[in-house]
Formats: sequence, structure tokens, C-alpha cells
Amino acid sequence: MSATVIPETSGGGLSTASAMRRNFWRGVWRVMRRKPSRLAGAVILVGFVFMAVFGPMFYPDNLPGDADAITRPPSWEHWFGTDPQGRDVLALVITGSRYVLLSAAVTALITVVFGTGLGLFSGFKRGRWDTVLMRVTDMKLTIPGLPLLLVLATVWKFGSPLQMGLVLGLLGWGGVARAVRAQTLSLRERGFIEAARGLGLSTGHIIGKELLPSMAPYIAMNMLIAVTGAVYAQVGLFFLGVLPYESNNWGVMLNLAVFQAGAMITPYALGYLLAPLLAILLLTLGIVLVVDAMDEIFNPRLREE
Amino acid sequence: MKRLAAAAALLGLAATVTACSGGSPTKSGSGGGGGLFTTIDVNRPGLDASAPANPYNPKGNSFPAFNSMKLGWVKNHLTDPNQALPGIAASWEVAPDNSAITLKLQPNAKWSDGQPVTAEDVKMSIGIAYTQGSTAFSVTPGAAGVASDVTVVDDKTLKITQEMANPSPKFVRGVLDTTVLPSHVWKDVLPANFWDTLKAARGDDAAAEKARADITALGQKVLTFAPPKDVSAGPFVLERVNPGEALLVKNKNFYNAANVAPAQVKFLNYTGNEQIWNYLTAGKLDQSGFIAAPTDVMNRIKQAPGNEVIKGYSPVAVSMAFNQSKKPYDNVHVRRGLAYLINRDEVTKVASPEGGTPAVTTSGIHQKAAQAWIPDTLPKLDPYKPDPAKAEAEFKQAGLTKKDGKWALADGTPWKVSMHAPSGFSDWLSAQENIKSQLVKNGIDAEVVTTTDYPLYLEELAAGKYDVGFWLMALGPAPYDIFQRLYGASNGWTNVAGKVTHAAPGKNGNWMGGPEEIEVDGAKINPGELTGKLNTATAEQAKPIMAQLATAANQDLPVIQLWDYVNNQFVNNTRFTGWPHDDEILRLGTGVLPAGVWIQLGMVKAKQ
Repeated sequence: MSATVIPETSGGGLSTASAMRRNFWRGVWRVMRRKPSRLAGAVILVGFVFMAVFGPMFYPDNLPGDADAITRPPSWEHWFGTDPQGRDVLALVITGSRYVLLSAAVTALITVVFGTGLGLFSGFKRGRWDTVLMRVTDMKLTIPGLPLLLVLATVWKFGSPLQMGLVLGLLGWGGVARAVRAQTLSLRERGFIEAARGLGLSTGHIIGKELLPSMAPYIAMNMLIAVTGAVYAQVGLFFLGVLPYESNNWGVMLNLAVFQAGAMITPYALGYLLAPLLAILLLTLGIVLVVDAMDEIFNPRLREE
Repeated sequence: MKRLAAAAALLGLAATVTACSGGSPTKSGSGGGGGLFTTIDVNRPGLDASAPANPYNPKGNSFPAFNSMKLGWVKNHLTDPNQALPGIAASWEVAPDNSAITLKLQPNAKWSDGQPVTAEDVKMSIGIAYTQGSTAFSVTPGAAGVASDVTVVDDKTLKITQEMANPSPKFVRGVLDTTVLPSHVWKDVLPANFWDTLKAARGDDAAAEKARADITALGQKVLTFAPPKDVSAGPFVLERVNPGEALLVKNKNFYNAANVAPAQVKFLNYTGNEQIWNYLTAGKLDQSGFIAAPTDVMNRIKQAPGNEVIKGYSPVAVSMAFNQSKKPYDNVHVRRGLAYLINRDEVTKVASPEGGTPAVTTSGIHQKAAQAWIPDTLPKLDPYKPDPAKAEAEFKQAGLTKKDGKWALADGTPWKVSMHAPSGFSDWLSAQENIKSQLVKNGIDAEVVTTTDYPLYLEELAAGKYDVGFWLMALGPAPYDIFQRLYGASNGWTNVAGKVTHAAPGKNGNWMGGPEEIEVDGAKINPGELTGKLNTATAEQAKPIMAQLATAANQDLPVIQLWDYVNNQFVNNTRFTGWPHDDEILRLGTGVLPAGVWIQLGMVKAKQ
């Protein structure tokens, strides 16, 4: 039966898919317009991506410092003032964004790919595989991330954002795996999956075409939230001073602002403290707003409206 | 903790800082006592309420010069290591050949529980010092300037003789810098046969080896010993400690109690410099020892009512040290080229504007002490003023090549100056960051790499893992101590029993890896052997040797001296006055809190 039905379905599916895609983008635009704040969120995210990709190209590798203007307050020349080396704080934030965002992106990708893959497999297969994988996940979840990172930092220097992202990603997939498994367990009992099975569709098809799309919004949101988590985690580690010193890293900047420039005592260093904080805040805000938009875009009920 | 860690390291290595002052508004006069004196122990962040009142315990609630006393308080003299203020020893006589010191104890000294301080207390304290391996009381074979005999002459007199097989001009300092403990409290810590074991430890057979191990093992017992309550011979005694503060009250039995102004002393807890900055800007502290602070913070501290910053001499300098086993640092022209490139004024301005003075040149000696030791030689040394042309000439002479504006090694491989520092030392990091900028500007690639903490940093440095690192030097006042930082164990020379031997680079802690002989003004010298001679030389004998070594350091540049530290003491004149401004007593021996000494000597007065 499927031999005759499926070609027809896939043949008609092409035009349906392109129509759906059009509808999708129209839906996205509608969702965005409904709340301009969501548009602002998207603009912020695009801005950050632009900053990370192209920002450092506008500055020399070694930012020029002025020993006569160390830790100055914000001015027209230096919007967020200067650091204790007399360098422009804004330039530091921009050049430092690449490491932070790249490692956060890698973290998010690993978290989601690993967590989703494991959760789907475990939830769909059930049985022995499920038991083994979930015990592994449980064990992983019991490992406290920060102390482990502190220990790891003594042996591994995390010089590259990819290494940082990899470690944070490998530490962060547990929650996603558990949640995706729960979703899978619930969805696999639904009628449309039963029907797909009844039609004799392959496991790959059921997972890829039936299960995953239903969970896509959830996974996408998790991915964005993992970005914020990764930013906090690595900035925290750098702030604690356990990771290699890189003067334009946001965490190092926060550390130096408090412990070297005395931002808590003298207002001159406030710009130095606020600039990386604002960047993190803005990034989080952008992500929250976009997640809000995604919630509506991917929710079929809302899409139909 | 940041710069605090740097400050603490300085203290550990050489001398020190800190102390007190303070107090709530009271009417008490200078003699009567009254008023609360608020301070911090700048050497030890973090109070531990459960730690014992044991001066040897790393977290012990024992504050030198407040509730813990030494025989004397060694001064911060430019050239003489043996000058001291009286402590438990009221006076002392040193034999003309430095072979013995006779101590006369304070006649009225009593412990806070009313028992008199006796020569037996001092003898037992010396025994305890042996377990910790102090300078004058060491069982290490071949150590210089150690005591050979301790004799109780009478209840208030002791004679300590020096082992003259390997004497040291610092013997007196080593003796006076000994903490005195109550034998009626500590009596069980040392076994009855301790002095026999000590005698046995002086041999060179297996029995001696075992005796030395026994004594060292006792050291652990000493560290953990917890007296049931604090029994102090100092001006104060510990009342209580909580995680926020330690409270000490006046010891009525202290021999000079009539002249101790504060009735109570409070040590505030802190974990990092920024907390101390807060205390200081709020005018809370009557006194604090040296902590690094950026200029803006320093200005705010100075603005707080009553605050005053007393600047004094600190016999420590910081340098950029090279591992000469690594290329291209084995070439003196590379080191000289770097010295011509680095603007030390700028480095100091950025990294330690308040706590340092740019080094006038690399001499191995703090510029103030250099004026006293080698006034004629100092002006003849190359000051290494920033001069890119000279740097370029030196690099070319070293065979380095410049391609596309970037310097590379002779064989064309890229050259990156990789500088290391412990991550807590923000002044060092700041300096390295600035040096990196200066080097990059001149076509030399550079990077700053951090190590988690100072002990690990020293370990990795000693293991030869770094190309370039920062290194404390010029640790006065003794000439040998000054130059052994450049031409001592870290550069291959060890001095055992007065015999200097040289180890190959990478062996026995030789990480600097300099050559055994260097050419100075056309003549070959062995700087390690010359430094070894300083260990037994008199001041007059030392001067020409120091001149020679300063010239060697200046031409050979095992390190580039960057800045000489300044001792900043923070005091507040609102509640107490009488702060000394004399360099020699602004800093008093390793770990000693100088305000405690000022108070016990009656210098500090409550404000009327």
C-alpha cells in the first residue's frame, strides 16, 4: 500500500512544502509585527552575530592603550571609558565578543544535538537502551558542573572557544536529553505516530518527519537558552580567574573592573564594569524576546490563527 | 585577592607590612588605655574562628606584636640586617666576632595568666623554632648562621652561640626574629629528650639523619597544637574570634601596659583587596599595611577624614626574568634589546603607580639600598632608557631577523615573548599586559599567560616551563639575600656549608640557566661564587663585591628590573596619633604587624 501512496504523497509534497514555507515566513513576520519587542530581540541577536563575526575586523589585534588615560569614565571619545591599560572599553567588548559567542554557539549546538539525539533514541527505543542511557544521563546530571570545570581548568587551558564550547556542551546536555525523552515517550503513544507505524514507515521517517517537528520549538528554545547558560558559565569561570587571561574577555573584564580597577569604590571604573554586563544583559534580552516569538511561531495552534 | 597575593608573597619572601590603629571615640590618654583600635592582618586574608592561638599555625589567631611576641623586632634598615627594636629581649650583647649573642629579657615581662616570662620559656621557644627550620635554628646540614648552643645563664639571661664553621652576618637577626611561647602551656609539645635529639641531629651519620627527621616530624605537631586559651606576653590577648572579626583586649600583665593606648584591638576579616579598600575609604581602619590600590581608589582613601598614607622603603623589587635555556633568551643581546624597548616608567605607571617606583636600572639592588651600598657604581651602570634604535641594533647583533616589521628568530621561526604570572597578581598582569603592548608596537609578538596560583607558578617556573616570568628580587637588607635572587639556587648556584657549587640548567632548581661564568668589563667572573662570599663578608668587604655583582647584573641582565616596591602604610589620625614616619620601623620583619610594635613601645597615643 505504501508503495503506491508514498510516491504520490511526496510528489504533491513539494508544492505543499513550498507553500508551507511561504506561509511559515508570513507567519513569522506576523508574529514579529504583533509585538515589536520581538523584532527588537531579533535585531539584537543579529547585531550580536554581526559583532562577533565582523566586529574584531574593525580593530587592530593589539588594541592601543594610553598610559595617561587609565580607568577613565565614559566620554564622547570612549563611550564606556577606558580600562586600567588605557584602552577603549567598547573596543574590548566588541573584540571579546567572538570568543564568548562562538563558544556559546558551540555549547548550544552540542547540548542540543547530543541531548536531543540521546533523548529521542532513548524515548523511542525504550527497554534496555533507555535504561542504560538514562542511568548515564542521571549520573551526568549528578556531576556538579562548576566544581568540575574548576578542576578541569587546572589541566586544560581552554585557549580556544571551541574547546570551551565543547566542554560546556558536554556538561550541559543532560537536562535536554531527559526532557526530550519525556516528550518522545508522550508523543510516541499519540495517534499520528501509531498511524505512521501502522503505515509501516521507517523509524528514521517517524523520528525525523513526525517526532522531531513536533518538538522543534522546544529544542530550538532550549538551544537559545543554552547560549545564555554558556555565556554565564564561561564568563563566571573567567571572572573567577581560573581560565586563561585574555584582557578582552568579558569575564576577565568584570574581574579586573572589580578587583583591579575598584569599580565598587570609584565611579571612574563603572563603565568598565557595566560594558560587559550590559552586553550580557542585552544578549539575554534578545534571546528571551526571540524565544517568545519562536514559541508562537512553532505553536501550530497559534499559527493557524 | 589580586594584588594582595602579590603583597603577601613579598611578605613571605622578605619583610613586611601592616598593623593597626583605631578605636572608638574615648577619652583615654596615652597611658591609661581605652579605645578600640581597628585594623586588619594584611598578611592573612580570611579569619578562621576555629583556628588556635598558635603563631606557627598558618591560620592561627595569633597576631605578631599584638598577642604574640618575638625576642626583638628586626628593623627595616637599608644595609644592616641586625638592627632591632626590643621585644621580649630588653637588650642584647653581641660578641665582637659575631660568635654569640647574650640576651637580657624584660625584667617585668609576664604572661597574660600572671606567670613570669623566663629564660626557660625562651629556650623552649628556640626548640620549637628548630622544628620549623628558622634561619638561626636550623638542623639542615651546612646551613649558614645557625646556633650551636643555647645556654640559660639565669632566669632572665640566655647566651646563644653561633656555629662558627659556617657563620653568617645575619645570625643576630635570625635569633632576635624568634617567637617566644609560654613553656607552661607548650611544655608537652617537645619531648623531654628534645635537646639530646638536637645534639644527635648535628652529626652526619644515619643516626643524625634520623634525629633530623624526628625534629622535622615534630614540626607538624607544633603547627596543629591548640592551646586551651591564648596566653600572651604581648600587649594584647585574644578574647574571641568570629568569622567577621577577632577581638583582642589589653594584657594587664604586659611589661609596658601603662603605655599601651588602645584598650581593645579588632582585626576585621577580609578576603580580597577590594574589601580593604572599602574599609579604608569608610575610614574604618586605624591602620593597615601595604595593599596595592589603583590611583583612583587611592585618592578616595586619602580623601576619607583622618586618613593618611605613610610611604616608606620596602626592600623588594620586581623583575622580568628570563629562562636562558630557551632561545633566544640565551643571547645577552636579546635581553639587552628587550631592556631598551621596555619603558619602565610606563609599566610602573600602569601596574603599580602607588606601590612602586620605576627601577632606575637593573642593578639587582633596590635603588634606595643601592645608594647606600654602591653609590659610586650606580651612575656608571647603563640605565637602559627606552631606545628602539639601540634595541634594533642589539637584536641584529643577536642574529634576529625582521620580516614585514616583525622580529623572528635567526632561523626565521616566529618569536613570541610568552610572559607568565599567577592569575591573582593583578599588578604583575597589568605590567605584562603593558609590556605586551609595548613589544607588539615594536614588532615583537607577545602574550600573557596566567597560572592558577602563586605556589603553582613558582613550581612551574622552577621546572623551567616558562620562557619569561616575573620574579621578586633585591630582597634586602643582607647583601647575600639581595644577590642570591639573581645568582643563587634559581640560577644554578647552591651554597652548602660555605661551599658554592653550580648545577647545570634544568637541574636542582636552576631555571634561569645562565652561564657559570660571565664576562663583565672584559673579565670573566663567577657571579654565584661572588654572591656566596657575601654570606660571610662584613659590610665593608661586601661593598666592592656588590659593586661587581651590580655591574654584572647590569651587563648580563639575567632579569630586567622593572620597579622597586614602596611600602604604603595606611593610618587614620581621627582616633589615634603618633604614627612613626621613620622608614626603618615602618616595616619590621616577616609577618610582623608593625602597628603592634608601635603600640607596645608607646608610640601610638589615643587622641585627646
